[in-house]
Amino acid sequence: MPRPLISIGLVLVALTLVPIGCIYRARHSVKGQPRIQVVYDMDNQYYYKAQSADDFFADGRSMRTPVDGTVARGDLRAGDPFFRGRVEGDTTFVTEFPVTVDQDLMHRGQERFQIFCAPCHGLSGNGNGVVNIRATALAEGTWTPPSDLVGQSVVDRPVGHIYNTITHGIRNMPSYKNQIDPRDRWAIVAYVRALQLSRNASLADVPADDRAALENLGTR
Amino acid sequence: MTRNDNEFQDGTASGSGTTTTDKFVFPRWTNRLREISAVAALGGLVYAVVLVYGVFSPETSAMGYAPTQPVSYSHALHVGAMGIDCRYCHTSVETTAKANIPPTSTCMNCHSHVRTESPKLELVRKSAETGEPIPWVRVHDLPDFVYFNHAGHIQSGVGCVSCHGRIDRMEVVAQDKPLTMGWCLGCHRNPEPNLRPKEFVTDMTWQPPNGEDPADLGARLMKEHGIAPSTDCATCHR
Repeated sequence: MPRPLISIGLVLVALTLVPIGCIYRARHSVKGQPRIQVVYDMDNQYYYKAQSADDFFADGRSMRTPVDGTVARGDLRAGDPFFRGRVEGDTTFVTEFPVTVDQDLMHRGQERFQIFCAPCHGLSGNGNGVVNIRATALAEGTWTPPSDLVGQSVVDRPVGHIYNTITHGIRNMPSYKNQIDPRDRWAIVAYVRALQLSRNASLADVPADDRAALENLGTR
Repeated sequence: MTRNDNEFQDGTASGSGTTTTDKFVFPRWTNRLREISAVAALGGLVYAVVLVYGVFSPETSAMGYAPTQPVSYSHALHVGAMGIDCRYCHTSVETTAKANIPPTSTCMNCHSHVRTESPKLELVRKSAETGEPIPWVRVHDLPDFVYFNHAGHIQSGVGCVSCHGRIDRMEVVAQDKPLTMGWCLGCHRNPEPNLRPKEFVTDMTWQPPNGEDPADLGARLMKEHGIAPSTDCATCHR
């Protein structure tokens, strides 16, 4: 076989490696462009999706808020104790839970507390969560350390007051009504009460059966 | 070919006066031309298949998609370093089909007090002031003829990490899995290894306790909770 032909062949074979290299690179790197759709199919259809944008409405959002003065089915917030933490028709805070406090509610409260409250107030409720640690480390001027939820001032507060604080916020704490459902707020209040109890308890308060386990924990 | 011409000019053709001077003779290597072209054609075909597969496979085209977001929010910092739960921001993930992008007010829960001067948060502050949404770019986008429900998966105990990868390590969120129909079906047909107790769904590093095989635990959970993923067409194409 003549030499030039062999060279041409080798060059061609070498060139075929270039696209392979490109593919390898594409598979092992992050890219800023979405995938190229050769066949468009029906991937993008003209209907409103959650949180999508659209020019039809003045505010550019496809999701609409309820018309003023209307309430969606199941959204009626009737009952001051449950929804506002206050005595029916009054402004005083309720001192009794308007929900049944049981183990399920407690577990729910623990989970919700750890999601929504612990970032600032800490897992034990003492006010030293990760956000507080970071804000203090960054020496943020406007940062006020979160309240100690297991301290006497919160222990003394009626449950309705704590519920109200979650709903509307207090001082630097923002409102959590959009992130936490009313029932979950009560679950959190119940868990805060449990935390307070645990932080201010003595060994004598622990049921006899569990006492031994706790004592072992201490000596380990 | 030029070599043959030369041979005639330099050697045999000189002075003989024959009429065969312009007769073309194939060089000896062309005897193998058939085999050579067969090998080349076969190689070309294989190459074409590899190329098409390589270019169009979702591992190449879709995985690793990491668009630049309007605000350089870092999941690595908020989730990885600080340990904030996914659900603090993506509140609707347990109860609705869609895992919501948090409203600006959620950012401002902390950032009205922390890093209030940061230029990175300029757009967030502006959004909070004007009510104008932040134009986040969607990363995980299934075709519109596919129905996917986050709540159903979370309630069954499919961890976030199974589909989204190690978000807690991502400075910029990238698509980590192919999100193709074949990939979905892979898990729907064999869900055991991807199931965990519901309370650990957002844990990015969760492993079954005591070194248990995830598939064994998954099988137990399926029985306990009656989890039976469907592979009917109409489950996702509805």
